[in-house]
Amino acid sequence: MSSNSLTLAPAPRSEAAEQVRAEVREFLAAELAAGTFRTHVDTWLSGVDPSFSRKLGERGWLGMTWPKKYGGHERSAMERYAVTEELLAAGAPVAAHWIADRQSGPNLLTYGTEKQRQELLPRIAAGECYFVIGMSEPDSGSDLASIRTRASRNADGDWVVNGAKVWTSNAHDSHYAITLVRSVPADPANRHAGLSQLLIDLSLPGITINPIRILDGGHHFNEVVFEDVVVPGDMLLGEDGNGWHQVTAELAFERSGPERFLSTYPLVAEFARRVADSGDPAAVATLGRLSARILALRQMSLRIAAALDRGELPNIPAALVKDVGTTFEGDVIEEIRRVVDVTPSLDSPDPLGRALAEAQLHAPGYTLRGGTNEILRGIVARGLGLR
Amino acid sequence: MSDQDLVVETVRDILTGFEPFVLTAERRWDAGLWSALADAGLTGVGLPEEAGGSGGELADAVAIVRTLAAGAAAVPVAEQLLVAGPAIVAADLALPSPEEPLTFAVGDAVSAQASDDGDGPGRFTLTGTATDVAWAGVAQHVAVLASSAVGPVLALVAVGDLPASDAFNLAGEPRGSLVLDGVPATGALLTETQADVLRARYALARAVQLAAALEQVLAWTVQYAGERVQFGRPLGKFQAIQMELAEMAGEVTAATALTDAAVQAVERDENVVLAAAAAKVRAGAAVEVVARLAHQVHGALGFTQEHKLHHLTRRLWSWRDEAGSELAWSRVLGAGVLADGPDGLWPALTRVV
Repeated sequence: MSSNSLTLAPAPRSEAAEQVRAEVREFLAAELAAGTFRTHVDTWLSGVDPSFSRKLGERGWLGMTWPKKYGGHERSAMERYAVTEELLAAGAPVAAHWIADRQSGPNLLTYGTEKQRQELLPRIAAGECYFVIGMSEPDSGSDLASIRTRASRNADGDWVVNGAKVWTSNAHDSHYAITLVRSVPADPANRHAGLSQLLIDLSLPGITINPIRILDGGHHFNEVVFEDVVVPGDMLLGEDGNGWHQVTAELAFERSGPERFLSTYPLVAEFARRVADSGDPAAVATLGRLSARILALRQMSLRIAAALDRGELPNIPAALVKDVGTTFEGDVIEEIRRVVDVTPSLDSPDPLGRALAEAQLHAPGYTLRGGTNEILRGIVARGLGLR
Repeated sequence: MSDQDLVVETVRDILTGFEPFVLTAERRWDAGLWSALADAGLTGVGLPEEAGGSGGELADAVAIVRTLAAGAAAVPVAEQLLVAGPAIVAADLALPSPEEPLTFAVGDAVSAQASDDGDGPGRFTLTGTATDVAWAGVAQHVAVLASSAVGPVLALVAVGDLPASDAFNLAGEPRGSLVLDGVPATGALLTETQADVLRARYALARAVQLAAALEQVLAWTVQYAGERVQFGRPLGKFQAIQMELAEMAGEVTAATALTDAAVQAVERDENVVLAAAAAKVRAGAAVEVVARLAHQVHGALGFTQEHKLHHLTRRLWSWRDEAGSELAWSRVLGAGVLADGPDGLWPALTRVV
């Protein structure tokens, strides 16, 4: 089946995935009982906890699908799916390693040099080395090809980078930015040409990281400014000029995972506790409807994991999952409000009120990050043969 | 080409000779299409040969039902192949000839009285009114889920001579009542669990039909958007229309993915009730978006009986609340995922399908 078809084959059942799921669930229950973390909404953006990430690395739950020679564990995408899904459902603090494990690692595996892989992948798999995505810029959001951050070679063969990236989640706690740069001046006739990806060490001189606070006051986003930053010549990722192709290849990883429909799951779990207590028929029905949507999204996302295991890069189905899934993440708030008397507040003594407040204040992000839903629907329209 | 593809091809070939038409009280179904399907042995697929069926797997029967649902075929194939037929076989009752249309009814107001003292399959007398009977007045036999003093009974009744009331769903499909006044039937006692599973299989049969019809409506709408030219361009070139079609595709994909998974749950005989409830609720929820946007894109033309769109959209609007309403199945699912207590939601969600 073509990777660009909208429809993917059903995912086969994976006993190995169910086994690792049980192990993760047991681990999370113990961590929660020990009080090492508290459940929150949207923790893959906001829950930075390097010690937690290292624990996951020690247990072999990062870099799961990568070759063992790079610190990976050679397990299936289905097994990785089960692990990530359990972590998100528990609202565990996974933000530190999330991007590195999800897409920077696979990107390095595909395009990195042997030296880059050997140096970086084992550290990512250990939960020690964190990455940010350097794509968006102050003047380039959905129109990614319009980026202006420039990189040019100097006399030593190193790259000199100037420009700025924004929305770089947790850059202040991360080690590297895979940065999309224009390495050849823009050609209006071929906007996608002349882009490259650089692996930039965020501790290099000339880099300034400025916080950008989101609605709840949280500091996750940053502006990363590059002023004559000298990046060693061997930190080019992949081919000079192949950046557009490389970033689009990342998207199946970026857009299809369970974080695209489980960001507000801790709110649903809190709602379920309330419904179990009240037994209100309207709320029971709402829980049923929300459950049906989650179950469908799981099947859609699992189909993508199975396609990744087959070596496919199903970018169009991934765009579709992200559109449907992130819409659901926001809808949860309204569905619950309609049947439960609850006031959202971050200071609420009621855990449902707190979860609702967290979900609400993070809501604008769900349908923006990783490609707006308008962009995604355009990609789906292409899959339907309309473009 | 797999056996299943071959079956689907055969059904499609037959369908080309039978255009959907507007159903009326006088013309309640497509008798000619039924004969053609029966002659090809397709009305017994998924039912064992030793019981008089054509053999084959559940997946083959599902493929036939899907194809016919997408073609708005006015025949009781979903009821016969996915619900009543398998239930009769499972209960060890004698299966009527698959050439004679068989339907299923949840007889909440039908009581069964044993007319012998046997434990297993036996004779019963049915009393009461079976309402909302799909294909009432068309089906020769109905498998009724009735109640008795000792639990649920699956009873098989010959209804060819019984009058059916004139009641129809939004697509004109017969949904009348059958008055059973001391009618003799063969039957078998079921456990409550078996009765729950049977109701769930009926809901899943509708979910399978919904998913197939949703896919077809999307395909028709994409095709129409590519053909209809306004302002010098096909509709499908306008971003506003592309957004609508993409939204439809998302809903269709979600409904299909979950329905496929629920069919697999039936094949494994695991969590059938909650899996079917979820598929029915999700497919039903997709109807609102898909039917609304399909009509929006088709414009006034799609709002007429001349255009084919209504054959499926009227069925979608009906099917989503048949075999148990969307609300009823939402409650079943909501209560089911809480069965393990207030903290049991996530384990339940990862177990259902």
